[in-house]
Amino acid sequence: MDYPIWDLAMGGGVLIGTVAIAHVIVSHFAVGGGIAMAVAETVAVRRGDAALRQLCRRTSLMLILISTVFGAISGVGIWVTIGLVQPVATSALIHNFVWAWATEWVFFILEVATALAYYATWDKVRPRTHLLLIWLYALAAYMSLVIIQGIIAFMLTPGRWVETRSFWDGFLNPSYLPGLVLRTGIALFLAGSYMTFAALRESDRVARARLVRLLALFQVGGALVAYGGYRWWEAALPEAVRALFLGSSPLLGSLAATRHLVLWALAAYLLFALFALLQPRLQRWPVAALAMLLAFTSFGAYERLREGSRKPFVIRDVMFSNGVLVSEIAPLNERGILSKAVWAAREDDGTVQGKGRAVFRAQCASCHTQNGYLSIRRIVAPIDADMMGAILESLRDDGQAYASGAILQQGHAATQGLNYPFMPPFVGTAEEMEALAAYLLALKPATVAEVSHGK
Amino acid sequence: MASNLIPAVDPAPLPGPPWLFHVLWVVTFTVHLLFVNSVLGGTVLAALLGTSRPANRASAQLFVEVNSWAISFAITFGIAPLLFLQVLFGRFFYTATILVAWWWLGLLGLLTVGYYLNFLAKFRLRAGKGAGGVLAVEAVCFLAVAGIQVVVNLLHLQPGRWERVSDAPWAALADPTFVPRFLHFLLAAVALAGAILAWAAVRRAQRGGDREVARGMAAIGIRAALVATLLQLVDGFWFLFALPEGVLKAYMRSGATAMVPLALGILAGVVLLTVLAGVSDPLAQGTRVRRAAELIVGAMLVMVITRHQLRDVYLAAARADEQLAVAPQWGTLVIFLVVFLLGVAVTAFALVRAAKDTPAPGETAA
Repeated sequence: MDYPIWDLAMGGGVLIGTVAIAHVIVSHFAVGGGIAMAVAETVAVRRGDAALRQLCRRTSLMLILISTVFGAISGVGIWVTIGLVQPVATSALIHNFVWAWATEWVFFILEVATALAYYATWDKVRPRTHLLLIWLYALAAYMSLVIIQGIIAFMLTPGRWVETRSFWDGFLNPSYLPGLVLRTGIALFLAGSYMTFAALRESDRVARARLVRLLALFQVGGALVAYGGYRWWEAALPEAVRALFLGSSPLLGSLAATRHLVLWALAAYLLFALFALLQPRLQRWPVAALAMLLAFTSFGAYERLREGSRKPFVIRDVMFSNGVLVSEIAPLNERGILSKAVWAAREDDGTVQGKGRAVFRAQCASCHTQNGYLSIRRIVAPIDADMMGAILESLRDDGQAYASGAILQQGHAATQGLNYPFMPPFVGTAEEMEALAAYLLALKPATVAEVSHGK
Repeated sequence: MASNLIPAVDPAPLPGPPWLFHVLWVVTFTVHLLFVNSVLGGTVLAALLGTSRPANRASAQLFVEVNSWAISFAITFGIAPLLFLQVLFGRFFYTATILVAWWWLGLLGLLTVGYYLNFLAKFRLRAGKGAGGVLAVEAVCFLAVAGIQVVVNLLHLQPGRWERVSDAPWAALADPTFVPRFLHFLLAAVALAGAILAWAAVRRAQRGGDREVARGMAAIGIRAALVATLLQLVDGFWFLFALPEGVLKAYMRSGATAMVPLALGILAGVVLLTVLAGVSDPLAQGTRVRRAAELIVGAMLVMVITRHQLRDVYLAAARADEQLAVAPQWGTLVIFLVVFLLGVAVTAFALVRAAKDTPAPGETAA
């Protein structure tokens, strides 16, 4: 909030989501691919299976080009984007979990070194050394997932950390283990999906069917583990989070639809994987491509669901998506939001609208753009002055509910009881609220205003 | 006005003693910089050399082969210092990156393109094809990455410039220290890459490689390191005296802790010049070539310390009233240190075993 605001027409959240989804798809392949290749090469060495060995060899180049290059850069990319869009939250996470991230970094080094060495030593070292490299890679890649899952899950379910501020309470939070099981399954089925393309390049039909069946085992097993993990993850969520997308009348219809997409895409993917398991000779690349598309869809939808479920928080129960802390509501209602939002306050030129524009940038601009993503101009178009006042009053009341703890249920904010359960509350003085209302009303296109009044 | 734009200190306490973050930062940044300089200098030299003559082609091939490992390590070793920087100076760093957000984000695209072009150059050179154009574009990508890093670095040090850059982002380039600072890093990178090339050529000749090609590679490497170091001495003083007057005075007054590393760095540069100038037949003077490489690494190490000290001087006024709470997470800190030591040991073991292990006669290879 007290940082400059990057104006991005596509919306900061969309940018983070785009980079994050691209990264997680690759990074989960890096994790699952390590395990699948370690198992496959071990079997190949024990059985003297040349085709299986060749599969690992073909996949190893893909592992380098996709995983250690794109995966490494897009991983840094997530940091770059969250630092640009959510600097306050990034700083908070780093202050709490720096040692976890530093430990994960050690595993990155081992991961990159062994991946490069593995690819470079085909035909050069004894099989035992080559197997050592791929098993070390698999271990390092999986450990990076074990660690980062703690931080990702923390943002949605910080659990007892909210009271204790203990690292372990935050890290081993309620959705940590379910999410880890889910991601393990995803990593395995993604690896099976990717590697199927390498298997289909095998010219010997009998060997090709054998490879496709082996990889289908990873896909079927991974999909079942992922399904179990997903159900467990849902069960571990606080009631207020579940209310957003579960039940007979979910609060956010789009999130409920996303949940259906997660499950139906996973179910359809499982059918494709079973087909490959039972009829490996019939497997062809268009079918494998369709299966992989379903795998991406299910996984991408899950990431969207997880991110969306945090609304209106960036760290649930602690920090809103605009960087305002729950603990700051009362003091900022006294002093005014612009006392802290020093960069946004530059917009305050002494006029009412100038102050309103500054308040908008401080509280709303992290999600709403003027004309692009979640365009505020479109949203306010049908709203008249009375309704605007009522909306902002309601949002201010929501803030009082957060600040007083009146909506707490078992330590979590029960947002479903609020006027606007997925929007941060209005925080600031009455004068700032009036200025914001004036600024928003001035954004209304004149024609729309007339039509609205005419009605 | 400017000091009002500095975001508040993060309310969460530091999870470890500040000195430890500084030590870890300097150590990991040094390793990161070794890889960065090797990549940047190697790519620039490869692009300048082209692939027409045998020694030039062999040099370019060496650099792209080294880069296919070094780029990954440069990125991976960059994570740790970035982490520790954010813990200690996050409010300055985030602000600087947001002010030049598109450039900072663009860095990712440049890195990705540069890395894939390196693989393209590698496969083309292995196939006996030319790669001059690919190498030139790759060099431009990495030079732009270096430029963006220097811009962000200078900006996070100077909150007084934020307001102007916020209104006009191109003003970020208007810092009088930008050019000498950028050249300082670029010349160090070329010097290191030159020394690596010369040393690799010496080793190649010792192992029975083509002596004529090796001699040509070594000569290129020594010449590149010599010219870069000569220019560095000029640029180093330009950089020093281009510092803002207040910063320069405060730095000069900060006593032996600051002056010793600076003096050592300058001394290392002068000694390096004499060592390099004394190399007439690199293949016969392997020890001297190795000394040159060691001196460059030594100079880089002390310059990293100087760079770190200079940051404190730059930010002294802005941090005058900074109150950092400290609540060490000893358990997780110990876990990190143990994993770090084990991780380094296992990585070294794996790499050495991968390099030295060869199948016995009649034994199957992996």
